[in-house]
Amino acid sequence: MIGFIIFTTFLAIVVVAFAAITQKKLADSIILFMGVGLGSVVLFFTFKAPDVALTEAVIGAGISSLIFLMALKHLGEQT
Amino acid sequence: MSLKRDIPTSALSGFALSAILVLTILNVLLHHIPTKIATAGEELLKLNETEGVANAVTTVVVYFRGFDTLGEIAVLFIASLGIGLMLHTNSKCDIKAESNFMLQTASKLLFPIIMLFGIYVMIYGHLSPGGGFQGGVIIASGVLLLLISHKEFEVPHGVIVALETFAGISYVLIGLIGLVVLDKFLGNFLPHDISDMGLLMSGGVIPIIYIIVGIKVGSEMSMIVQNLIRRESNV
Repeated sequence: MIGFIIFTTFLAIVVVAFAAITQKKLADSIILFMGVGLGSVVLFFTFKAPDVALTEAVIGAGISSLIFLMALKHLGEQT
Repeated sequence: MSLKRDIPTSALSGFALSAILVLTILNVLLHHIPTKIATAGEELLKLNETEGVANAVTTVVVYFRGFDTLGEIAVLFIASLGIGLMLHTNSKCDIKAESNFMLQTASKLLFPIIMLFGIYVMIYGHLSPGGGFQGGVIIASGVLLLLISHKEFEVPHGVIVALETFAGISYVLIGLIGLVVLDKFLGNFLPHDISDMGLLMSGGVIPIIYIIVGIKVGSEMSMIVQNLIRRESNV
């Protein structure tokens, strides 16, 4: 069961990451990048590293994506 | 004609003095490296039971590798310093579009819960996953929510300076007290019984250090976020 969860999550991360780099709109890629972070949170948790999972959830999927979105808004105002 | 700037002798002598001090500290530190580096992880996990802390990761991060954590906090401080130096502006942000009504109402509801969760993660870092770094960043994300939703909100600069100074000084002071009392930097000089493992008041000095780390990380990340958002809305 654990192996099935790990395999499915890993496949989903690869698919979402590929979708993130092929998007036309940058906002869509940032949201898909948050999806990559969430998938890695599940992976870290199943690998018995809850500390790393909490850090990834807060920093990787939370603050850094919000800062990316702020920078994208700034770029959109300039051009 | 002279393109070279005059370097005052006091700055030069201060630089030389600090270099000598750093070299002395490095010399002392390099003589206390454990000999068996490759099996250090297993040895540390065996030693974890002597400190009376339920979360072994916290013991390693804060106690056995406490000096590295001090260095990491210094790195974060330098990053905050650089962002503040480059991006800080005194002018008020004049954004045209007011934020959404839904966002304003929801932020009033969510902000206390986020702060409470951050403080919980910070205080219970020695019992459950999480700790100072994670709790500090959660608090900074709560500040970010308030900065996005309320345009007139501003992080109180004096409070941040006081908190960060207090946290940095007390981290080094606790380490030096341990050095004086137990002949070891960051020595655990408070009572830490093995029978108290799992209680909130356990582990001696370790939860205090993690709370200090959380205060420092939270204030630094809040200043970083505010500087980035100000710059963003200022252009």
